Amino acid sequence: MSPFLAVERVSKSFAGARARVVLHEVALQLAAGEYIAVMGESGAGKSTLLNLIAGLDVPDAGRIVVGGQDLAALDDAGRTRLRRARMGFIFQAFHLLPHLTVARNVGLPLALNGAASSSIAARVEEMLAAVGMLDREADLPNQLSGGEMQRVAIARALAHRPSLVLADEPTGNLDADSAAEVLALLRAQLERDNAAGILVTHSEVAAATAQRTYRLTHQGLRERGT
Amino acid sequence: MAAWPLIDAALAGPLRRSPGRNALLVIAIALGVALGFAIYLINRSAADEVSLAARSLYGLADLSIESAAGLDENLYPRIAAVPGVAVASPVVEVEAKLAQRRASLTLLGVDAFRSRQLQASLAALAGTMATDSAAFDPHAVFLSASAARDLQLGTGGVLEIQVGEKTEQLRVAGVLPQAGLEDRAGVLDIAAAQWRFGRLGKLSRINVRLAGGARAERVRADIAALLPPEARVTTPGEASSEALRLSRAYRSNLTALALVALFTGGFFVYSTQSLATLRRRREFAVLHALGVTRAQQLALVLAGSAIIGTCGALLGVALGIAAARIGLGAIGGDLGAGYFRGLAAELEVHGTEIVIFCVLGVMVAIVGALRPAIEAARVPTASALKAGDVASRELRTHGRVVAAFLTLAAMVLLLPPIAGLPLPGFIAIALLMIGAVIAMPSIVRLALRHAPFVRAVPYQVAIAQIAGTARYATLSVSAILVSFSLMVSMAIMVTSFRTSLDQWAQRLLPADIYVRLGYVGQSAHFDASTVQRLARLPGVAYFETGRFARAQLAPDKPPLTLVARSSNHMAIADALWTTATAAAKAPQDAVPTWVSEAAGDLYGIRAGDSFEVSVAGQRLHAFAAGIWRDYEHQNGAIVIDSVAYVRLTGDTGINTVSLWVQPGADSHALESRIRDLLPATQFDLRTPPELRRLSLQAFDRTFAITYLLELVAVLIGLFGIAAGISAQVLARRGEFGVLRHLGFTRAQIATMLAIEGAVLGATGVLVGLLTGAVVSLILIYVVNRQSFHWSMDLAAPGVLLTSLSAVLVAAAAGIAIVSGRQAMSTDVVKAVKEDW
Repeated sequence: MSPFLAVERVSKSFAGARARVVLHEVALQLAAGEYIAVMGESGAGKSTLLNLIAGLDVPDAGRIVVGGQDLAALDDAGRTRLRRARMGFIFQAFHLLPHLTVARNVGLPLALNGAASSSIAARVEEMLAAVGMLDREADLPNQLSGGEMQRVAIARALAHRPSLVLADEPTGNLDADSAAEVLALLRAQLERDNAAGILVTHSEVAAATAQRTYRLTHQGLRERGT
Repeated sequence: MAAWPLIDAALAGPLRRSPGRNALLVIAIALGVALGFAIYLINRSAADEVSLAARSLYGLADLSIESAAGLDENLYPRIAAVPGVAVASPVVEVEAKLAQRRASLTLLGVDAFRSRQLQASLAALAGTMATDSAAFDPHAVFLSASAARDLQLGTGGVLEIQVGEKTEQLRVAGVLPQAGLEDRAGVLDIAAAQWRFGRLGKLSRINVRLAGGARAERVRADIAALLPPEARVTTPGEASSEALRLSRAYRSNLTALALVALFTGGFFVYSTQSLATLRRRREFAVLHALGVTRAQQLALVLAGSAIIGTCGALLGVALGIAAARIGLGAIGGDLGAGYFRGLAAELEVHGTEIVIFCVLGVMVAIVGALRPAIEAARVPTASALKAGDVASRELRTHGRVVAAFLTLAAMVLLLPPIAGLPLPGFIAIALLMIGAVIAMPSIVRLALRHAPFVRAVPYQVAIAQIAGTARYATLSVSAILVSFSLMVSMAIMVTSFRTSLDQWAQRLLPADIYVRLGYVGQSAHFDASTVQRLARLPGVAYFETGRFARAQLAPDKPPLTLVARSSNHMAIADALWTTATAAAKAPQDAVPTWVSEAAGDLYGIRAGDSFEVSVAGQRLHAFAAGIWRDYEHQNGAIVIDSVAYVRLTGDTGINTVSLWVQPGADSHALESRIRDLLPATQFDLRTPPELRRLSLQAFDRTFAITYLLELVAVLIGLFGIAAGISAQVLARRGEFGVLRHLGFTRAQIATMLAIEGAVLGATGVLVGLLTGAVVSLILIYVVNRQSFHWSMDLAAPGVLLTSLSAVLVAAAAGIAIVSGRQAMSTDVVKAVKEDW
């Protein structure tokens, strides 16, 4: 079976006064339903790797194939459409849109993908129920705690049934209990939708919730224990 | 020195960080100050010049006795004999119509021996006058320096004037020193003036110098006791103030209009500083956490604004002086309104004025920043430091505050003018505009509640964004709301005025040809025999005549214009635009008159009232048969039948002859016949279309300056939109990053911003239209009526307002897109790593 995500010898460097190579010939394959953690020091290029996979940035060398589509063959609009349809994002700072209610935040990816209003409402209800936030659907983000905001962010990331979820330090702003709860929820939702997931984290505890853990250094990406 | 790191972090740093926005703020304040200062300087310079010129007519006199109808010269020896009078100098003042020109020249007939003791310039010429007897030469005239300059005449030159229908010549015997007689005038012997201008036995005024130690009030009372009812005793100061009175309302209104740009600038400061406070929310929280007190935060924000205000005010004052210099040179002291024609005002700037306008600019910047500064000092530190913090979307509707402002505005409108100026009207307008700005967020939310459902996600996010940030989003349009309201109100007022003036001109000019010679108080006029010859010309069907004179209703008020009209063809009431007619007929002993709206307002006369008026020294018991709309005589006018006028005064002179051409007759041929009939007379011959065109040209020239002022105010408003939207877009880079992660294309984000800009712009424009319409009613029915006593019918320039509205909405959308592009040109994806 061909992998859903294939990162092939990808390199990326940033120009400027302090030019530096961030990623060097990174390779990774991920099949549907696989959930991995990527660890590394600050500045190792973890977020850059996520941005390249999401098509938000382009590599200097190498190739990234998502769902059988080579990102290099797509223009910005094409990569945006692919990201919109097939990927979900979870951020450290939650990044719920502050002026949309919880329900509208969760429904946004569905609306962007052209879903009918009735199906959006049903899916939003299903996702909010799944993350335990159904009773808060009319609230605004600033009425929620950090843990609650991240639960909503997970619901938003998975609402449109993406094939790949990219989570960048999703527990970085949460206390230990909330973090554990959020990570369990993320894993459960990924398994339920058979989605692949990449968790970027500094936390060993968080990484332990993934099926495999990789370590990213300037020499490349290596699975721990190999 | 310990405070320096704090100043650097909280004051200098932020000022350095947003150079573009701060530069716009400085420019906005500078433009506001510059406009206000330039208009003020031009007005003040012209007023000084007029005042000086008027004052110079009186020389060293302490009192002046005058009457619009003229004084009996037998009064002179009695005045001279009043205890406490050191010198009494009789004067005959005539407006001599200049031959070959449309202008007139003030000629002062003086007694050389008496006036020499009051006029320094005449004293300087004393030697010359004594040796060559020029002072008593009936053909000699001495010109003031400004008259000589304007007429390009020197000693030995010939001044041609029109008296009646004849052209007469006066020899220029000398040019007076500038300081002696500032006015544009000529001086000749009093006997020559009386004889030449048909004023035998009459004086215009008697200037009086008091003896040392005399009590002015006592002498004034003694003199007043000798005077007929229509005469009055004034001081030269009162007389020079009167010379300015006519233009005072125009000058005050123009200065108020010029200051609107500064008012708009204040809203621009308010919106920009509020958005900066929002953007720096976390920074304020951090500073407070580090130990900066709330009071220090307040002071630092206000200090930042004060620095911007100071830079703007200094730049504005410099620009204002330059603009005033250019304005005075290019369009004159009356800025095109025609009040001070022929006046050569020179710019003189006083230090106090510079300080006042600088303080005004700085105060506007500080007051504009006051509320944002208070908000900055109140940022909740703990929550602002937390991840995911956003400013509360809670919107206080301030319904009571808005209602209070509107109620106060309505109440202020009930107040009478202050010192003759419509200040309550201006205050009501300011209150109304502030109320509209405060109400704006609630109006936006209300409008968005009824926004149509559109499936497009960018539209939905845009609407949610505006609804969620209504308070801050609407800040961007607060300045444009103020300036656009003003533009709308001025456009409606000017259109109403122009349309009414045009209708008035058409209504008051029913004849086919108008022949005119001379005006109120001028020496030129047609003789009755000439009028008969004109009326008998082949091609003339009907004719009417008009004579202009002065009439005095109250001795303490300036004379008004009396128009004596014939009624051969049209009844007077039909020839005027009457707005009220007396229900009853005139009493047997009263002469029917038609009173202009201005005269009605100034003297409290209504249709059906009886009143006393003095014309050419004769008392007239008048009856107000009707009130008529008049845009020509700002001091007021009354119209009476010419038969009654001649019976009262014996004056058979005529100034205007209106001719109706016989059906089928050639009007051009008739015009030629008129010119052939009066080859040596310098008269004006006009057709109604020409007169209409001339009156509209004069109107447009008067209001041209107001368009410039409005344009600058709208420009400042557009600065507000640009700075406001760009500040918001910049603050939302993180949000754009997330939207890109979620699958928004760049085009969708641009669409979303364009929708936000257009919705905000459209709401601002709609509220501006509404507010402007209400302000226009205040301008038309309160400010204009109190200033000029002119009524007008409401007319709105639909096409202009629609086009302007469309341009502003498009500009708001365009600015949002451009700002968005700039924000998107940086790495918005990285922005999601920042907390926002």
